[in-house]
Amino acid sequence: MKLTRRAMIKDGLLVVSAGMVMPAIFSRGVASARAQALDGSRMAQTASDRTLIVVQMAGGNDGLNTVVPFTDPLYLKMRPTLGIPETKVLPLDTRLGLHPNLQPLQKLWHDGHLAIVEGVGYPNPSLSHFQAMDIWQTLDLSGNGSEGWLGKLVSGLVDRDGHPFKALDISVQTAQALQSITTQVPTVASVQSYRLYPDPVDADGGNTRLQALMKLYNSYPGTAPYAALLDTTALSAQDGSRQLHQADATYRPAVTYPKGPFADGLKVLAEAIVQGLGLRVGYVTLGGFDTHANQAATHDVLMQTLANGVSAFYSDLAAHGKADNVVVMTWSEFGRRVEENGSLGTDHGTAAPMFILGNPVNKGIYGEPPSLSSLDENGNLKYTVDFRSVYATVLDRWMGASSKAVLGGSFGTQNFLS
Amino acid sequence: MSMDDTYNQPTEPQMDIGGVRDDLPAQAVPTTPLQATRAAVAPEVAPQQPAPTSRRKFMGKSLAGMAALGGAGVAAAFGGVALARWVEHGGFTSPSQGPMASSTQIGHLLRRAGFGATPDELAMYRQLGFNGAVDRLLNYQQVADDTMENRLKALNLNLNSAADQQRWWLLRMAWSQRPLLEKMTLFWHGVLTSSFHKVGGRRFYLRMIMQNQFLREHAFDTFDNILLGITSDPAMLFYLDLTKSTKKAPNENYARELMELFTLGLGHYTQQDVYEGAAALTGWHVRGLSSRYFPQDHNDLVKTYLGHTGNLDYKDVITILANHPAAPWFICRKLFTFFAYENPSTDDLKPLVDTYVESGHNMGAVMRTLLLSPQFSSAQAYRGRIKSPVEFTASVYRALGINDDSVSKRLPTFSTLMGQTLFDPPNVAGWPGDKVSALWLNSGTWMTRLNYIDFLLASRAGASDGSTPLVDLQSVVNTHQLSSPEQFVDHFSSFLLDGNLVSGRRTQLLDYFTAQDGSGRRGKPVSLTNGQSYPLGRVRGTLYLMMASPEYQLN
Repeated sequence: MKLTRRAMIKDGLLVVSAGMVMPAIFSRGVASARAQALDGSRMAQTASDRTLIVVQMAGGNDGLNTVVPFTDPLYLKMRPTLGIPETKVLPLDTRLGLHPNLQPLQKLWHDGHLAIVEGVGYPNPSLSHFQAMDIWQTLDLSGNGSEGWLGKLVSGLVDRDGHPFKALDISVQTAQALQSITTQVPTVASVQSYRLYPDPVDADGGNTRLQALMKLYNSYPGTAPYAALLDTTALSAQDGSRQLHQADATYRPAVTYPKGPFADGLKVLAEAIVQGLGLRVGYVTLGGFDTHANQAATHDVLMQTLANGVSAFYSDLAAHGKADNVVVMTWSEFGRRVEENGSLGTDHGTAAPMFILGNPVNKGIYGEPPSLSSLDENGNLKYTVDFRSVYATVLDRWMGASSKAVLGGSFGTQNFLS
Repeated sequence: MSMDDTYNQPTEPQMDIGGVRDDLPAQAVPTTPLQATRAAVAPEVAPQQPAPTSRRKFMGKSLAGMAALGGAGVAAAFGGVALARWVEHGGFTSPSQGPMASSTQIGHLLRRAGFGATPDELAMYRQLGFNGAVDRLLNYQQVADDTMENRLKALNLNLNSAADQQRWWLLRMAWSQRPLLEKMTLFWHGVLTSSFHKVGGRRFYLRMIMQNQFLREHAFDTFDNILLGITSDPAMLFYLDLTKSTKKAPNENYARELMELFTLGLGHYTQQDVYEGAAALTGWHVRGLSSRYFPQDHNDLVKTYLGHTGNLDYKDVITILANHPAAPWFICRKLFTFFAYENPSTDDLKPLVDTYVESGHNMGAVMRTLLLSPQFSSAQAYRGRIKSPVEFTASVYRALGINDDSVSKRLPTFSTLMGQTLFDPPNVAGWPGDKVSALWLNSGTWMTRLNYIDFLLASRAGASDGSTPLVDLQSVVNTHQLSSPEQFVDHFSSFLLDGNLVSGRRTQLLDYFTAQDGSGRRGKPVSLTNGQSYPLGRVRGTLYLMMASPEYQLN
């Protein structure tokens, strides 16, 4: 049976080309919704109402000033001006505490909804932003990968209802982690801008023009440049904008979100979850962490933006009865140099902590904070936890996927999820 | 919209450091682009058969995943390869077939080496022939641009405001008679980049305009001079923290990115070179709008940088980098990717690299080699990249000949929602779409492109005068004596789409123009010169469809 391009997209999956084999992302071997239907419809229902929200902290977050080893004398010794004194740290246990602006996260900790994975990194770390970002997003340790780990996950996700929002990126540019060869992720800067405006002189509200437009895309020769990209973009926009605006019309956030694009983005993700748009993977980015100079003021604001935004998001979901369905995970391409530099800042580093939060999370510190006395030849931390084991945990224990298929290997798991 | 709401908080400028920009490195007056040292190759069609492509290659770094979407198959992913078939049907015409360059070839040139064209501009450049058109673009000093400068002056823009800065540059792109100069400046802005968010605070956003003017004045200078200028540029000194670098505690930010992102690329230096380079680059301070090198603040210890040992300073660093064997390959790859197509081969780049060496690193000479290369005019290049947001924004504005203050205020917002904010790259690597143009396109940015067209076509001229449409199609019809729907479509297609519409798609546009289904009855109808009237919504809807089409999203 030959499917039209459109039918294949409707099916939640695009068939790429002869010779390309879909990876068996899901342990149950789901290939496509159509195949499922033919196969008696044994869909991976168990995980279908679960959502993963990924927060990228772009620029290299200073892990040591985020989760502070406040009892280690070396910490303040190596950071005479930037170090956060014990009196200001928000303690989690006898060794570690949070940056003072992370109070909302400390509350989640006390409530049992926050896990921290310490010392996360990978072998032979790159001090280049861009190679490190490639590695974290594509898992290709040479930094030459093109398909993102979440893209692989999303392209393997089956959605029988044809939801366009099984994944959603809050941005003007789709994150590399979400790039895939088969599935385009809706990328939304704001709900307001995510629609096609009609010409006011068209008495039919723009329907005829829209149909003519879609026909121009649908009939664009498949062999012409960027044909598939253009076609799927138009379809994704047409389907997605209608659904998003229907959802938006009746969505009432239960909390007042902080101002700013980061919290605005989280609000759109909450809306997609609460309004049942089928969201499985949401992605939002907070940038500005590359603090080579005068770090303190910048980092203070970023910590506050992160904590207040995520906390509002959690509260909104909780009030809508969705907090059990959502796990939030943060990452950054690297931490920063242990010793502060001469510009009241820190240079590119290596291992850093990750936050995992949500009702399903087992509270605790996982992994081991890297030693401040045993640094690598550049004065950077030696990682203690491979980032792929964190991804594997989320994939296997939360998304119901096969981490081996997505990550291309076995890297162990952590116990922040059961 | 950038998520970087606290991106790189401004740092405070250094105060009370006297001096003007009087001890800057000597910067040559922009040189007239040299003649390429080898005989100019007459551009000709070099159709390429789609090569068998392994899955490995398909999955490789060379491709954006999204470019390869869908059942269209592997060939589509390569942007231009599959066009070979189209070329066989007469897409490109070799200039050897006639004295005048084909509209396709000139249209392609003006899109890549500029921001598209009006019908008049297209005709003028065609008269020059392809080589003559390249000459005119490169020898920009011989073309007056007073009209644009006067128009910009009349706007009284505040060039210390981020929005007005963007508007100022977008309008330059839309109005300039030196389009390649603006395009080359845009290229440099994406490589040697800085953001207004980190140039010393809100009072000093003007430093971004100074950097922009530097890149414009030296766009075709030697790579050495460009690097010397950007190293001592006040905005850059703040953006990558050289203002915070002291001889006792060199800051490694600029030293690293100078090698990784500006000149060599990963793999050609060590972390030790970063340390040593940082020490060599110390000594700079900024005051107000000027920068100055203070020898007493320079680290005078002996350094070993990329194999060179001595008391090196910033001039030595730039000389070492510009003469490094990796540098021409690095910068020529960026140039080729931006202007021609992605993933160039070694053979594609070799003539550019040779020109770089033979011309003494002259970027104008390299550019001439590139524009006259068969690769530039090849089927692989034609419509081989997705238009960037800035290209899209400026080229629609330019092609439709718009000049309206209330409308041009909105240009920065549209460009931002399409995914590109001038003077505010996502990070020091510039815009990923400059390297992989498929990254420019997604559902959200695509809708913004279309909404921008809709906005321009539905706008009225002037904020208060509600009588005249911004794009007065009745006037276009009268001026060009368009007497049928076919002539209407062909007129706009000639400069928007190179007159290059596969026949079935032209028919779709004509069907929309002439359909009689009762919609689109509002507004004043447009009368063609044959006396027939058509509903306004149908007429401008047809133009909307042409610019909303897949073909128009491509460059």
